[in-house]
Amino acid sequence: MASKTVAKDIITLRGSAAIVSEFFGYAANRFGCWGFFFSVSILYNRGVYPEESFAKVKKYGLPMLLTHDEGVKSFIANLTSQLSEWLEAGKLQRVVLVIMSKSSSEVLERWNFSIQTDGEVVEKGVSREKSDKEIMREIQAIMRQIASSITYLPCLDEPCVFDVLAYTDKDVSVPFTWIESDPKLIANPQMVKLHSFDTKIHKVGTLVSYKNDEWDEE
Amino acid sequence: MILRTPPPKRPRTEIKAAEEGYPVGSGRHLVIYEDSPVVHDQPSEHLLCTYQCRQMVKSEFFDALSSAEKQARDYQSKWETLNDSFCKVEAERNRFMEQFLYVEQELAAAKGREQALQEQLLKEVNDSRERFKKHIQSYKEVEIKLKDEVNLRKKAESSAASSEEKANNLEGQLTRLSESMKREKHSFQVELGQLKKDSKYSLSRKNAELEKMESIAINAEKELVLLNENMEDLKKHLNECLYQKGEAEKKLATLTFQEPNSSDASLLVKHLQEELRNYEVEVQEAKKLKSSYEQIELLREKLLEERSRRDRAESEISKLQELQFSMNTLDELSSWKTMMQNIPDVSSPDDVPAKFASLQKEVLDSMMKLGELNARFKQMEVALDGAQFSKQSAKADAALARDKLKGMEEEVKQLQLMLSTITDERDRLKDLLEDSRSMKGDVGGSEIADGKLLQELQLSIANKECYIKELESTVQMKQEMNNRQQEEITLLGEKLNDEARRIRSLERESDRLRSEISLLESKLGHGDFSTESTKVLRMVNTLAVDSEAKETIEALRSELQKAKDKLKAVEELNNQSGNTVKSVDSHISEKLKQLKEQIATLEKREERYKTVFADRISVFRRACCELFGYKIVMDERQRPNGIPVTRFTLQSIYAQSDEEKLEFEYESGNLSVVVNAYSSQPDISQQVGIFIHKLNSIPAFTSNLTVESFNRRTLS
Repeated sequence: MASKTVAKDIITLRGSAAIVSEFFGYAANRFGCWGFFFSVSILYNRGVYPEESFAKVKKYGLPMLLTHDEGVKSFIANLTSQLSEWLEAGKLQRVVLVIMSKSSSEVLERWNFSIQTDGEVVEKGVSREKSDKEIMREIQAIMRQIASSITYLPCLDEPCVFDVLAYTDKDVSVPFTWIESDPKLIANPQMVKLHSFDTKIHKVGTLVSYKNDEWDEE
Repeated sequence: MILRTPPPKRPRTEIKAAEEGYPVGSGRHLVIYEDSPVVHDQPSEHLLCTYQCRQMVKSEFFDALSSAEKQARDYQSKWETLNDSFCKVEAERNRFMEQFLYVEQELAAAKGREQALQEQLLKEVNDSRERFKKHIQSYKEVEIKLKDEVNLRKKAESSAASSEEKANNLEGQLTRLSESMKREKHSFQVELGQLKKDSKYSLSRKNAELEKMESIAINAEKELVLLNENMEDLKKHLNECLYQKGEAEKKLATLTFQEPNSSDASLLVKHLQEELRNYEVEVQEAKKLKSSYEQIELLREKLLEERSRRDRAESEISKLQELQFSMNTLDELSSWKTMMQNIPDVSSPDDVPAKFASLQKEVLDSMMKLGELNARFKQMEVALDGAQFSKQSAKADAALARDKLKGMEEEVKQLQLMLSTITDERDRLKDLLEDSRSMKGDVGGSEIADGKLLQELQLSIANKECYIKELESTVQMKQEMNNRQQEEITLLGEKLNDEARRIRSLERESDRLRSEISLLESKLGHGDFSTESTKVLRMVNTLAVDSEAKETIEALRSELQKAKDKLKAVEELNNQSGNTVKSVDSHISEKLKQLKEQIATLEKREERYKTVFADRISVFRRACCELFGYKIVMDERQRPNGIPVTRFTLQSIYAQSDEEKLEFEYESGNLSVVVNAYSSQPDISQQVGIFIHKLNSIPAFTSNLTVESFNRRTLS
């Protein structure tokens, strides 16, 4: 973890960016890790990635699964590296994980991670103090909430794919592996706000919006 | 003076009658002796005076008379002066009486005003008391409500804590169960993997053996056919040779009788021997072929046995898979059952999700209630603070009012004391007046009494004046105090109104802020953003593209593996069979090497193409955007009938809002406009009708739209 390169409780911009991007990387994998047990997880039940492509690791004090799938691994690795770069520059505003139907490309769920960056740290390079334990505790709370969110999210009965959108400042230069996209919104979504965590440099808030299930509308 | 016996004293009535004619003031009484008509019973001869005595008495009498007359005149003058002074005093008294009455009137008015003030003060005190009581009641009610709210909040907190604990316990149980399940599943998976591997290995081995056997069998069949043909040829050849041998023997037999051509015969014999050797060799080969044929038949039988074994193994594998599936379902059912036993109010598996959902909803509801209760508690705290503040202010007002009341009561007491003193003075003055009136008839001893009366009157007048001044000063003070109180009351009232207005404005602002916050949160959750400061990016090398490439690579790899297995089988066949297949193997291995090299080069080329394509496509997209003025986003979609369709979304760089987007669908070489909110606007739909439907030119439509939006932008 990049934050181990800095002093224990002093958070720098690079360390905070690493924590936030790693959290997102784990959170992205997290979406499939509880599916096996509850049989309603997002990626596992959709059969996008088979069961044997996940491996268990301990992170943030909770058991989590990482994928063996090289494509997903490289995708998430490239993603997190680019997100770290944007976070260090203070240009990243939001990261959205979109889950879409494979057949109709209809957006079914949006996991929205809003990021507020302390401008003073970006401009002047000052550091902040916050204990690792407290940051990890906050991340654990969000992981638990993500794990428990499957109890109220509607079931996804069709094969699905996921994509990641990054909301950046207007003046950010677009890397060659990225393109501009529409925000892939859901019409009349249901929204549930989850906890947030704060490294004193970046504050990440989580919110999931999903398409109304037909049964719920009835 | 000659002493003589005094005349007897006359009764009082006679003395008074005598006194009426004479001034008051002298202390001596002159008795004129005269023959009184009243005949005394007692003789008074010893009292008769001589003529001298009478003359002396007359002279004395006249002297006394003259002196008395003088005195009378003096007294009369004095009486006149006294009368004048008395008149003056009377006038003064009247004046003082008038003043006194006036003062009395003023006093009565002051009393009335004082009573009115007292009543007003009492009213104010009562009002303040009532207000204070109301405040206290409201405060008590607020306290009761606060206690109720605190109790509710405690209950809600306790219920939330208990539900959280329950949820945590359930989560812990779920985690434990999941971990145990995972462990078991992992172990089962490992076993299954091992079994699968074993079965796959055995299957693959058997398949390979089968294929090997098959290929061996095929080759052997072919060889058999060839060998049969050869054998038949050889048989024919053998028959021919035998026939020739017989003929040669015959010839030899005949030749034994013909000796001169021995060299030709030897040559012939040699030739025949060679042919015999060849035929023997061929016979041996035929025998070998026969043995190989027998071997082939044995191999065929073995092949059939292996095939049957393979079928049995496959059936067992399918049974194993079914068993594994049933085991999984049994494991899940057992886990669900144990979970159901642990979870209260759950009797069947269908109840569990509902129970979880209900628990989650309960937790969410309790959290929402807790939030609402917290908000209400805070509101109550604010109201309580306000009520306490108002209570304190009311207490201060009540204390002030009490103090004022005490002051007023003291003033009232003072006034009452003053009144009592004044009434005493008045009574005293009345008594004095009465005394003076009664003393009016006595001339002789009235001077001192008049003087005393005057002094007393003057003193009383001075006192009255002092009292009047004090009364006036107290009345002024009271008026000032009243004015001050009224001003304070008006100020307090204004302050209260201002505070109430401020509170209302703050409440309105807080409601507005709350609504703004909820709106912003909904927008945030919805994903709205400002195009002026934000843009949305996504990765080009999506997993779909990677997965397609991966699929092709995996397919190629599986084919490669099959080819490798075939190659191994062929190599083993080669080792078993020997020379006949070597040439074929070498050819196949060469081909395999070539194919492998081609695959490697193709894979490298594919990766290079991908990176170059990504670079070029981004450059191309940017150039297209800048040249034609439209950002183009391409999406692959599938219609409900399963037909894949490519959708292009165009957004002009001169667009004034995010909603100004055109959509086109590309299907089998045809591009068609998709109706959306922007294209259904009247001016846009008109242009669509003209340029696209009538003139069938999409570039003309887009360029016209670009020029219009450019003009709009530049003009605005």
